[in-house]
Amino acid sequence: MSEFHQLKVLEVIKETEDSTSISFKVPQELYETFNYKPGQYLTLRFTINTEDVRRSYSLCSSPVIGEPLCIGVKRVKDGLVSNHINNNIKVGDLVEVMKPDGRFFADVKKENYKTYYLFSAGSGITPILSILKTVLFTEEHSYVHMIYGNRSEDSIMFKNTLDKLQENYKERFILEYTLSRPKSSWSDLWKTSKEQTYRKGRVDTAAINWFLEEYPPYAQNAEYYICGPGTMIENTTKALKSIDVPDERIFIESFGGSNLKDTTEAFENAQLIAKLDGETINTIIPKGKTVLRTLIDAGKEPPYSCEAGVCSTCRCKIKSGKVHMKINLALTDQEVEQGYILSCQSIPLSNQVEVVYT
Amino acid sequence: MMHELPVSAYTSQEWFDLEQKHIFSKTWQFAGLVEDVANPGDYVSVQAGLNNIFIVKGRDHRLRAFHNMCRHRGTQLLRAVGKAQKAITCPYHDWTYNLEGKLVSIPKKEEEFPDLCDKELHDCGLNLHEASVDIFKGMLFVHPEKNAPNIMEFFGEVAPYLGPHIPEELIEYKEKKQAPFYTKEINANWKIIVENYIDQYHLAHLHEGTLNMYDHAKAEFGWAGSHYHFYEPLVPAYLADIKNASPYPLMDKMPDDKMGAYVPWLFPNIGITESESAWNTFHAIPLAPDRTLVVIRSKTMNVSEWEYTKQYTKSMASSVWKTMGNKGKYEGEASDPMASGDFMLEDVYACEQQQKSLSSPLFSVGAQAKKGEFAVSKFQSVVKEWIENHQD
Repeated sequence: MSEFHQLKVLEVIKETEDSTSISFKVPQELYETFNYKPGQYLTLRFTINTEDVRRSYSLCSSPVIGEPLCIGVKRVKDGLVSNHINNNIKVGDLVEVMKPDGRFFADVKKENYKTYYLFSAGSGITPILSILKTVLFTEEHSYVHMIYGNRSEDSIMFKNTLDKLQENYKERFILEYTLSRPKSSWSDLWKTSKEQTYRKGRVDTAAINWFLEEYPPYAQNAEYYICGPGTMIENTTKALKSIDVPDERIFIESFGGSNLKDTTEAFENAQLIAKLDGETINTIIPKGKTVLRTLIDAGKEPPYSCEAGVCSTCRCKIKSGKVHMKINLALTDQEVEQGYILSCQSIPLSNQVEVVYT
Repeated sequence: MMHELPVSAYTSQEWFDLEQKHIFSKTWQFAGLVEDVANPGDYVSVQAGLNNIFIVKGRDHRLRAFHNMCRHRGTQLLRAVGKAQKAITCPYHDWTYNLEGKLVSIPKKEEEFPDLCDKELHDCGLNLHEASVDIFKGMLFVHPEKNAPNIMEFFGEVAPYLGPHIPEELIEYKEKKQAPFYTKEINANWKIIVENYIDQYHLAHLHEGTLNMYDHAKAEFGWAGSHYHFYEPLVPAYLADIKNASPYPLMDKMPDDKMGAYVPWLFPNIGITESESAWNTFHAIPLAPDRTLVVIRSKTMNVSEWEYTKQYTKSMASSVWKTMGNKGKYEGEASDPMASGDFMLEDVYACEQQQKSLSSPLFSVGAQAKKGEFAVSKFQSVVKEWIENHQD
């Protein structure tokens, strides 16, 4: 499951002041392995200052137009890996990459007739761009209505690609940019109306209500894809639900960054019984450790990739006891009800916890 | 036999019932124009074969469709058109549903229905039956199944043959408020009316003085999916003076080199007439084996009243109409459809005259025009297929 492959960097493009896109060459024998659905991500592994670190980055390339696998990486303030990638990665480097995964994807089919609403902010554009390209290219009848939030014009990632797509698919693709802090300058006074205009503001309730009213769906089978930082996801989801968009039509990929402080205390030194790869592991969860970390520290190999509560690779089922998930951006309410947990986010709340990886 | 179908398909109640069940209750059915449900809360209900279905626009501006039937005793919930605020309440016992079709309230539930279900009301299996709704070329269509086959699979093949018109940008032309442009109960089976609509052969004959502004000899027509497509250009004399002669302001989307009329028929019962100056839907609703209601809605350019007046004045003055478009086939009283100079009256007359003969023991179709009437037998074979494929 968590097998890494060495992929060679094919191209490195500086997208904006603080972001880079990296393309990888996939050798022919790995084509099958690296096949992906638009919206999925790659997990990269680096050793930085002797520490083994993994991060997941959404693919911004499309699997249907013969382009190499590509991820977009935006610098995170003090971010270990994102800055490493932006500073050091160059063409020809070998990077350890796990096969594509993730449950955030669009099931694109030629015969579909849908309206795709795509909401993204910042680097949340990456999986959205993959879905966008794949839908426009594959589903000749479907429509895409997209709103993309950024701080300012300079920070819009993949702007050329987006503008070109809009030009080529005018009849089926609506794109609105919204900027939270647009740069204004004296030269604005001489702007002609022909120049591109931007909506002002964030991707928030007001923006979403305006957007849906301005661009109602034509094909009535509408789906809503959201990707961006935590607050943007929360706001967008809340706004959609408040106007009765059904849950089953909303798809979310969070890029973390939730500001809520979690103060739940773990049960100290709880006993962990885990069934993994046919083995029953019996150990103690040290203070401050998650179920997943406890297993890794014990030298075991539980499946995981993002370690941020987003991807659900580390999903397991709880048989007895109680845990608390610090962040759950992957499991549905129904799955939680059925006893599924994200082991990378789970801390024990009872003296004993029994889990099964399947 | 007609061609593919027995004569009884045009006269018997048995066939009428089969069609209602296997064609009109299993296909995408025309339900109006997109602007009929313009705002959140707006709804329309339509009879689609055996099902009465309503469409409502949600606050997210997406349309939903449900069977218009209370889950309690089956009472029809909504009347033709209107605006619902946040809920739909059955007039009979006030059972109430939200705009998602979920049951949200039953009066005196605890006393009267103690054993109904111990879950939340919307989990009691008594939500409204869902149906499907979608938009094609500015028209609303409903399908009685919740997971209907997608509408572009049904219409996709014919789409490239339709006119360049964008009906959403046009405005509806009505002589009276709240009434469609034209409604008429015709004493003929619905298929007789369809066959007349898709018969290219008759244009130069039945309508020799009424549709002679179109160049029938240059008509291009054929079949795509389950549907008929047709295009014919204007005759040179009309084209030469089109800017003056057109009765209404010209369609802005109509390219000069393709000026003409697109007249497709979408299976089973909706035609469109897309011309140089108007865009009409032609809905044939079967009422009985020998009776059909035809409802035409008409849209024209969204320009000022003044533009219409100017165009009308120019059109009246154009010499084109001295020789075209309004001369009856026969001389006579204007009350005689064949002398009326009105092509609709001519078609209605022809259809009703044909229907009359169907009960004659000697009736038969003598021959079929190879090109001009090819679509008639094609249409019949599609009808036959639907009936045969769906019969248990």
